[in-house]
Amino acid sequence: MTLDRNTLSNRLQEVFKRVFDDPDMTISDEMTAADHSEWDSLMHIGLMASVETEFSISFSAGEIAHLASVGELIDLIEERSKASGA
Amino acid sequence: MQSSPAMNDVKNSLAVFEELKNSAGFFDTYAAQLVSARKFEKVVGELDSLAPIKVAVVGNATTDQICSLLRFWLGLSGFRADIRQSPFGTLEQSIFDPTSDIYANDPDIIWIFTNHRDVPFEAIECEAEADYDDKLENAIERFEGLWANVRKNCAAQIIQNNVDLPLERVMGNFDGSSRFGRLTFLRDMNAQLSRRASSGVSIFDLDHISNVFGKANWCEERYWHHAKIPFSLDAHGYVAHAVARLIAAIKGRSRKCVVLDLDNTLWGGVIGDDGLDGIKLGDGPAGEAFVSFQKYLKALSKRGVLLAVCSKNEFENAEEVFLKHPAMVLRKDDIAVFVANWQNKADNIRIIAERLKLGLDAFVFVDDNPAERDLVRQELPMVEVPELPENPELYLRTLDQSKYFEIANFSREDQLRTDMYRNNSRREEERLVHTDLDNFLRSLNMSGSIGHVTENNLSRASQLINKSNQFHLTTTRYPEAKICAMLESDEFICRSVRLKDKFGDNGLISVFILRRETETEMTIDTWVMSCRVLSRGVEDFICNEMITLAKSSGCKKLVGKYIATPKNKLVEPLYDRLNFDLKSKSGQDSTWSINLEQSRDEQENFIKKVSEIEYDQF
Repeated sequence: MTLDRNTLSNRLQEVFKRVFDDPDMTISDEMTAADHSEWDSLMHIGLMASVETEFSISFSAGEIAHLASVGELIDLIEERSKASGA
Repeated sequence: MQSSPAMNDVKNSLAVFEELKNSAGFFDTYAAQLVSARKFEKVVGELDSLAPIKVAVVGNATTDQICSLLRFWLGLSGFRADIRQSPFGTLEQSIFDPTSDIYANDPDIIWIFTNHRDVPFEAIECEAEADYDDKLENAIERFEGLWANVRKNCAAQIIQNNVDLPLERVMGNFDGSSRFGRLTFLRDMNAQLSRRASSGVSIFDLDHISNVFGKANWCEERYWHHAKIPFSLDAHGYVAHAVARLIAAIKGRSRKCVVLDLDNTLWGGVIGDDGLDGIKLGDGPAGEAFVSFQKYLKALSKRGVLLAVCSKNEFENAEEVFLKHPAMVLRKDDIAVFVANWQNKADNIRIIAERLKLGLDAFVFVDDNPAERDLVRQELPMVEVPELPENPELYLRTLDQSKYFEIANFSREDQLRTDMYRNNSRREEERLVHTDLDNFLRSLNMSGSIGHVTENNLSRASQLINKSNQFHLTTTRYPEAKICAMLESDEFICRSVRLKDKFGDNGLISVFILRRETETEMTIDTWVMSCRVLSRGVEDFICNEMITLAKSSGCKKLVGKYIATPKNKLVEPLYDRLNFDLKSKSGQDSTWSINLEQSRDEQENFIKKVSEIEYDQF
């Protein structure tokens, strides 16, 4: 079963809420690190680790470094989940 | 009655903290531990019971991840940590520069956070065996140089990572099988680091930690390449937990006693129902797990961790297993206090703590029954209560992995501790026979010797100063390096006291440090005593010696201070009892003095003073 983009986005939003400790947080495809004051390089690593845990997937060093937006992150999760048959 | 909002905050914070203690696991993922750490950060401000500690983490790798989880795990080990980090990539610079930020807050601990990448690959490519020893020596001297510079710049205790052996092997098996391969080199390095760490340096066995975590998962190149994070993110919590326990040990906050349930904890089944022949112990797989666990506990007791029994049983039934069951590894003699009755276990643990004269925060409670664990957690939050797995095979590992009993050094007294505590309870029995206290003390045939603090007893002396809470007038804490400096200074007089009686040797039981304030005034800077020898006139014996020492240095005044802590109420009345005059009082603290120019009677006691040589002979 593949995840539809909407479900996936909702699950990802829950991860963001947990990592940023902000129950009202909403995410969008266009969102980038620049949009959130707490989203620094340290937080980014915590976020990536949490996403990997949540979706049982793994990113490469290059992917972690070069993700530009939440939309790209969702694309990547989608691609990785399909590949791993999740 | 209504409680104020502020009080509710404190209550809620405590509840959150207790919940974290029970739910957080050191093997949880990094993501999960970050969430726990965040919860902790929200309540830490309200947790008054946490002791402040200052830690600096120095390394070439990224230390942010380890520091955020270290603060969390130090919190669960009883500390409120102020943590500083060296900037990325500045190991040497930060240590060599006396004005570097890591020294700015006078840290208690400096953690040199190195990993295998800090030993450059070229250093290890030994073309010929001849190079090998030189290269090894150079690698070790580099670390010794770091330690010496830390020493020069501050009095912190040093924690030094050893080398987490890498996964990759350029020469394959030969890397570890040849006399000069890379793995052989790094293994030799680790052995040398342990041998050459002087007092004041604790080696943190990072290699062991990486092995337990699993080397294939430990080595996580992605985050090394991304952000110079030295090992797997998911291993960070496990490392932080282990080092927090080591720091607790250095600060004298390791646990000292494990309280054991009996039925289904030390053996399978219920002795009251199944009888001596029915319980599972020894023969067969079900019984062998309990034998292994008992062997582990016995080994713990031999290295100085006290064992106590707290069981809901008829006393005779419980005792019979220890006396008669052929497969029992633990014997009555291994148990410092044996309680078997039908009272609630929290009350019984309180009684055990009183008998051993230990604070409740010295205890770990091991019980297979979740209800009992819950009760003790609620009633006695200071007691550590590990969550035991269903399978008895895993009891041993659960207790071992919790690292409650870490030690930073080891002395003869540690080995003898169970004997000493048992002898104490025999002395207690004797005391009941003698109605008159003086008669009792006389009958003990005590002799005491007062000697210098030397290299031989330094680790025990330091242990007393840094671990004791109750009989500690000023609760000064000094790293060994600082004590060494005092020994060499004319300003200080350091003495150690040993005590023997007809039941045996109590070992080194007290240390005091006098400080020459002025030409004519001597201050008792530090006075600490083991609570095992309370109420036996040792205080009086030592007081007489202090007066003699002060007089012979030409002083006219001996000054004693009592600095109150939540744990040293015991000695608040001490100087009054020893006939010092009260000079000043501020809050609960007080300053006392003796005018040495006036004649006064010696403090009466029943301890015969003997020389060090006599003490060792008889």
